[in-house]
Amino acid sequence: MSERKTGVYLCGGCGIGEALDMAALEGVAKTEYKLEPKAHACLCGDEGVAMIKADVDGGVNQVVVAACSSRVMTDRFAFEPAAQVIRADLREKVIWTHPANDEDTQMLAEDYVRMALSHAPKVTLPEPWIDGEYSQRIMVLGGGVTGLTAALEAAGVGHDVLLVERSDRLGGHALEASRRLPHTPPYDKPEDNGIQALVETVQGNARITVKMGATVTRTAGMPGKFAVTFADGSIEDVGAIVVATGWRPYDPAKLGHLGYGASPDVVTNVDLEKMLARNEVARKSDGKPVKSVAFVQCAGSRDPDHLPYCSSVCCATSLKQALEILTVDPKANVFVIYEEMRTPGVAEELYRSAQKAGVIFIKGKVKSVGSDLTVTVADELVQEDVPLAGLDMVVLATGMVPNSTNPDQESSEKGAEQLLGDVDPEAPIKVAGYAGDAPADYARRDQCTPDGGSLLNLQYRQGPHLPVLHDGFADSHYICFPYETRRSGIYTCGPVRRPMDWAEAAEDAAGAVMKAVQAVRGAAAGAALHPRVGDLSFPKINLNQCTKCRRCTVECPFGAIDEDEKEYPIVNPTRCRRCGTCMGACPVRTISFDNYSVEMLTTQIKAVKIPDEFSGKPRLLIIACENDAIPALDMAGIKRNQFSAHVRVLPVRCLGSVSLLCVSDALSVGYDGVMLMGCKPGDDYQCHFVKGSAMAAERMSKVGETLKSMMLEPERVVQVEASIADSDRLPTVINDFVDQITAIGFNPFKGF
Amino acid sequence: MNAMSPTPSKKYDLDFARWVYDNVDGGDRMALCMQCGTCSGSCPIGTQMDHGPRKLFMMIRAGMKEAVLTSNTIWNCVSCYNCVVRCPRQVPVTYILHDLATVAVREGYAQATESDNARFGKAFWWSAAKYGRTDERLVTAKYYFSFGFGEGYKKGMANLPIALGMIKTKRMHLGMPHKCKNTGELSKLLKKAAEMEAKKHG
Repeated sequence: MSERKTGVYLCGGCGIGEALDMAALEGVAKTEYKLEPKAHACLCGDEGVAMIKADVDGGVNQVVVAACSSRVMTDRFAFEPAAQVIRADLREKVIWTHPANDEDTQMLAEDYVRMALSHAPKVTLPEPWIDGEYSQRIMVLGGGVTGLTAALEAAGVGHDVLLVERSDRLGGHALEASRRLPHTPPYDKPEDNGIQALVETVQGNARITVKMGATVTRTAGMPGKFAVTFADGSIEDVGAIVVATGWRPYDPAKLGHLGYGASPDVVTNVDLEKMLARNEVARKSDGKPVKSVAFVQCAGSRDPDHLPYCSSVCCATSLKQALEILTVDPKANVFVIYEEMRTPGVAEELYRSAQKAGVIFIKGKVKSVGSDLTVTVADELVQEDVPLAGLDMVVLATGMVPNSTNPDQESSEKGAEQLLGDVDPEAPIKVAGYAGDAPADYARRDQCTPDGGSLLNLQYRQGPHLPVLHDGFADSHYICFPYETRRSGIYTCGPVRRPMDWAEAAEDAAGAVMKAVQAVRGAAAGAALHPRVGDLSFPKINLNQCTKCRRCTVECPFGAIDEDEKEYPIVNPTRCRRCGTCMGACPVRTISFDNYSVEMLTTQIKAVKIPDEFSGKPRLLIIACENDAIPALDMAGIKRNQFSAHVRVLPVRCLGSVSLLCVSDALSVGYDGVMLMGCKPGDDYQCHFVKGSAMAAERMSKVGETLKSMMLEPERVVQVEASIADSDRLPTVINDFVDQITAIGFNPFKGF
Repeated sequence: MNAMSPTPSKKYDLDFARWVYDNVDGGDRMALCMQCGTCSGSCPIGTQMDHGPRKLFMMIRAGMKEAVLTSNTIWNCVSCYNCVVRCPRQVPVTYILHDLATVAVREGYAQATESDNARFGKAFWWSAAKYGRTDERLVTAKYYFSFGFGEGYKKGMANLPIALGMIKTKRMHLGMPHKCKNTGELSKLLKKAAEMEAKKHG
């Protein structure tokens, strides 16, 4: 960057001018920072923007806008790359949440201007990391319904596709399946399978290269630059990977208590599906036709000893199979024994069809299945044990086990630990000063971790496996960022992610492909992926100061940092999501971004004027996550929810990027308390960087001892969970913290 | 409906539910019952029933044939139609209960002929079919004496004050029973209806 020229712009609009002493704010910039601010009554209006634009054209290359939250008016204050924009929030976090024309509110506004101006000289406009060739090709792993759809979607948006299938044919489970669940209106009857047509469309697509009978032995590199080695020795370059490895049925041999094995006529829904596909539904024992059949739902699913989760599609599948049986023999006696009939979405129509067709539904739990096929049900609605005697066949509706590992391969020594260790990666960690109720004790559920080798054999420091959640499904946030894994550029879709039917899997495939397309294009531009989409900064490590402690390589949630042969950290920039967890982890603060560093944070912390202990005004620092906590606070402002003006909010990319130095600096300059406000950690995490808030919690759990040695109360530092919906709760949380700290008393370090 | 249900003597009958769905009046709608319990909750004499319609339907699904056909639920229904009006799945509960009662009679369950309500129902139908009207004296007399002469006399005497009160307020008349204008036509009508019913259900 050429010589820095900073312009400061104060907005008086939206009531800021009426609620605050604007002259005093200008005075802060003038006297303390020797900058000449310009005020405008409506900075985001055409006139205001034109004023800034004129300055930028005149050589100003850094614009400090003190107006509204940095989350709004980004299109109006868009001067990058000509000039970097720094925002100070005087609206949501000042005048909307605090009384107008008040001494404390004015002090707050001035401090926010100080925070912005103090760190401005240290911020530079990031330059993207771009190096050599980037592949635009997308690899799809798995040739079932999900993978085939993914390949077509990717080809459809103009990307070459490498479709990898481990068996010698495309189609997956669907090849042996009968009709499929309804996916077109009126959603009330089984529909044609259509898998052959799908396979043929894929085979006829010029952009799609199919690699059959292929197993991945090694995946190295990063988004845009993955090098995938196969068992046959070939190496392919791809830009992103879509994992669509699907599911396998739960091993029925483990279902002895439901009669599996006691009689050949106790079959699984997968067996029945094959019989229906061949149009040969008959008793396996004597080949006689099936006149009466009972479906046992939740065979292994929702059972803590087997699969603790609901496999989601077995109810609808049984309804479909029952209807298919009744189509062949309308007089057949078909029982469905269920605990809860789960027919999400349009599958309810199938349920009604089955009722109309005469399927008999019995709510209860199966207690035993005899070798004579007598099913005894603890009928919940009759409140008695009911024997169903004289059945011709019993169908166990078994659940789905995700193919998050390759069942054909031995569970490898290396990585097994990672898989298990990562199963509950962030089970809630108790922190010394947890505001509110500390998380409950958490029982690890690990019996569902699938056996098998790694799918991709990832060459990551974090191990060869794709991280999984406790039930063995590939890690992803079901709601907020469904396809993301913790390995950038690698996306999961279909039943490997969560149980789902074909229609959902096809939609999922399209979603994951869109992410993969974004990944290959973003990587080539040096831009970050979700959630800091487009961010051009990346971590820079000053190896001169590095102590090879490996905390950055270990703690990176995305495995972006490897170790070189001399054990120095080496960043794979396109794997990086720019959360700054490495920066927060580094004990010698040698990791920084062009526009984000520990120094920039501590500068802001120290810029705040701390009143002395005789003023009666405490100062509390709230280090708040930009992803959920800051929007929640902004929404508190929109709702005009008021909270104490003694707090100073410091936005951070993620709580994971908060170095302990930020906390210790705050306490040593006289803040009376520090609150870390971030997303929910744990298995049902809401952290946008997966482990950031959990890492922060772990670091803070160690701060208690330090505080004690400083003769400070551990309650001065707390961490709270905030979700995007907490705009009404957070003001209370903040006020309670202020009250709590006031009760403890002022920080004795004040004034030193 | 005059088909016999399969295996009448069994306590549990795997085929019973499907048979009810296919043969009992309203059984096809019963297949859509979702066990919400609005019927049993709406029933004004639910406290007088051993099971109530909701549980009875589930017992049918469980194949508990004997328990269903000996249940007093099918006899104690007073045809108020509250359940039918309120059922969210349009199950004609009343029809089903009455039809199940005829199944119970036909299949010779003792409760079906000996319970109070079965006796009263028979007396009611006798009067209605014969005269086209229900005559209070004759219906009650036929009902009382169905228990035998001594028991009938006892029941009649016990209700004497009520009968006298009704006569006094002209709620019950003495003399010839009321009749409809053309009882001959009525019996033809009923005969034809029975024929049609038999044809419909084969």
